[in-house]
Amino acid sequence: MAAPHVIVIGAGSTGAATAHDLALRGLRVTVLERGEIANCTTGRNHCLLHSGGRYCVKDQESAIECIDENLILRRIMPDAMELNGGLFVALNEADLAFREKFIEGCEQCHIPYREVPVKRALEMEPFLNPGLLAAVQVPDGVFEPFRFCLAFLATARHNGAVVRTYTEVTELARAGQFITGVKVLDHRTGKTQEIGADLVVNATGPWAGRIAEMGGVEVPVAPTAGVMVTVDQRLCNLVINRMDKPADGDIVVPQRLTSIIGTTSWAILDPDQIEIPKAHIEKMIQKGRELIPAIQRRVTRGVGAAARPLIRKANTDEREVSRTFECFDHQRDGVDGFVTISGGKTTTARAMAEKAADVVCAKLGQRAECATRTTPLLSYRLFYN
Amino acid sequence: MQAEKSTRPRQVWQWADVRRRKLGMWAYTLNRVSGLGLVLYLFIHLAVLRLLAGGPAAWDNFLALVRSPLFLVLDVVLLAGLLIHGLNGIRLTITGLGIGVPAHKTWFLALMAAALILSAAGAIAIFTM
Amino acid sequence: MAIQVPIKVFRYRPGTAPHFERYQVTVPDDATVIDVIEGVWAEHDRNFMFRHACHHASCGTCAVRLNGYERLPCIVPVTEALAGRQELVVEPLRNFPLVGDLVVDVAGFFQKQAASGLVITRAAEATLSGQPFAHSELFSQAGALEERAYNRFENCIECGICISACPTMAATDKFWGPAALAGIRRATLTTGDCQEKAALLALADSEQGVWRCHSAFECTESCPQDVDPGGAIMSLRREIVGRKVKHLFGAG
Repeated sequence: MAAPHVIVIGAGSTGAATAHDLALRGLRVTVLERGEIANCTTGRNHCLLHSGGRYCVKDQESAIECIDENLILRRIMPDAMELNGGLFVALNEADLAFREKFIEGCEQCHIPYREVPVKRALEMEPFLNPGLLAAVQVPDGVFEPFRFCLAFLATARHNGAVVRTYTEVTELARAGQFITGVKVLDHRTGKTQEIGADLVVNATGPWAGRIAEMGGVEVPVAPTAGVMVTVDQRLCNLVINRMDKPADGDIVVPQRLTSIIGTTSWAILDPDQIEIPKAHIEKMIQKGRELIPAIQRRVTRGVGAAARPLIRKANTDEREVSRTFECFDHQRDGVDGFVTISGGKTTTARAMAEKAADVVCAKLGQRAECATRTTPLLSYRLFYN
Repeated sequence: MQAEKSTRPRQVWQWADVRRRKLGMWAYTLNRVSGLGLVLYLFIHLAVLRLLAGGPAAWDNFLALVRSPLFLVLDVVLLAGLLIHGLNGIRLTITGLGIGVPAHKTWFLALMAAALILSAAGAIAIFTM
Repeated sequence: MAIQVPIKVFRYRPGTAPHFERYQVTVPDDATVIDVIEGVWAEHDRNFMFRHACHHASCGTCAVRLNGYERLPCIVPVTEALAGRQELVVEPLRNFPLVGDLVVDVAGFFQKQAASGLVITRAAEATLSGQPFAHSELFSQAGALEERAYNRFENCIECGICISACPTMAATDKFWGPAALAGIRRATLTTGDCQEKAALLALADSEQGVWRCHSAFECTESCPQDVDPGGAIMSLRREIVGRKVKHLFGAG
């Protein structure tokens, strides 16, 4: 008997990692993506391979997920990573007062850290604000989001998965309380088609609500936009973080020949229509300059914003919402054969996939253990082989 | 390595499309056009030499023809083509060996200036001799 | 301030004749051209096909021909692209198979890219055995300052712009092309392995390698990341010729 067929909607980091996990467990997988791989939330993220340092005080659940996944990803995906490390720097007395909490948080979340003397920090990062008061190094890294997804999908394809880009899901096919497949519009040909499946995974990030609606269910995903301002100079080698709880413009991530300053956070209604407030761009430059004074407005290379999928909890500010993820089996909403995986971060995509694939396999009676922790991924370029 | 699917429209003539291109592309196209011109000349030359088989009379008639001003102008064009192609070839050989690559545009301009000067000198010689 | 941007876009589907269509898109005055292209999709036609991901010139997906020049629209401001023009003209890259509208098939290109075997960093591979990382090891992966140059993403973002600009690629798609040859050059510089280096040079010296380049240097001119593939090809030639000369006299 052929293995069960699972459709994964979305080819961002979550969908790509989920497809890889399911294919590795012997399922037949089809990935459907309405545009290019990683064309939105994943593509326009901060490229930060989190050490967890950013969340180790306020959101330890996320911090532990991040460091665990960081250590796994650097093993399995070496060719889409820069393993350059990160510095948390204190610029004023308030930051300095946060240092103790930060170090305590690192210890509680088993994040490796080492204190770097100010003089050494300035040797390592000559463009850093010379007025810094303290620096702590953590194993942050940088990835390339498009290639991050390609690496997962290359491996998934190698294991039999089918990846269809420019194929938009327009409807979910339903028989009674079962989702039996999807109806798609293939933009290449303009033709519509119905694809049957034993189970459909909704991995559409901030669009999860829209796909869930097609199945007649709701998911508490709040699309929250964040702006990234990229300047045309690589001004640091390590990721530079402000030693404080997460705030607007408190991080500069170097990537290739650029530096990316991020980010802000505001709730939006439609993830397809994001208007970037000008004040946010100015704020990024201004806050970025506090960390690295050499940052200048005139060398802005690109400004982008994409919606993050935050899992909504009652009465909380979006900065306070945990960056952790959740898997929803819609059987509990009376719809079977339909699972949503959302929330989380690109750094934790593999863990999200593991959770989703556990749920999927349990539902389909597929007995297979997750093997993604120790399976090296193929080179991203092999996606095109 | 598989060859790419050949679903794309063939655009071979694009090599001659210098619109919106930089100096390197002009040099590239100029070299090709002058090269094709010289090949064409070679075949014309071979055809002309066949006249020798027709005896001295045929040859003298031909010589009278090529002393006309029109043919003298064509001689100058031929000389210019030879200079452009030859001097450009020297540039390509040198940069092709990894020498002076960043200055390839300067090489091109300098050598083409030389081609122009030598062609002008040649033209004077051709018309005054 | 919002501005109205007139844009003329290449439209194509397999089996139909390629044509241009005109649209008006509203974007902020500090937007980049990718925002206008996305606006065609968002405001006018959800069937419009284009590639994009990072919006800061790192993924290399969005490359198109803008007003006749190969560009990454994500880093070209609209005001700059519109200066002295009635409308933006956007076409797909040349020398790739067309898929639809602005989307081209990059599979063959990436297959060639893979040939150089060039990856960003191999530092982590030694630990694939599953041994946990020691703390000191984690920090040494970050590397000493002077070694860190190689613990970085390549400057080449594999956008395909050099392929579109190269006149040799117009005549044959078998040519390795500027990006792959630049990758091979880069790999020969960093490999410590003589055999690997010889194999890479043999690849560059093959029928479809460096000798098919005819020095138009359009790749170097159009590269948005200053990779200088033309220079890399010339350097490979020098190395190949040098080795042959040495072999002729030295190794006899």
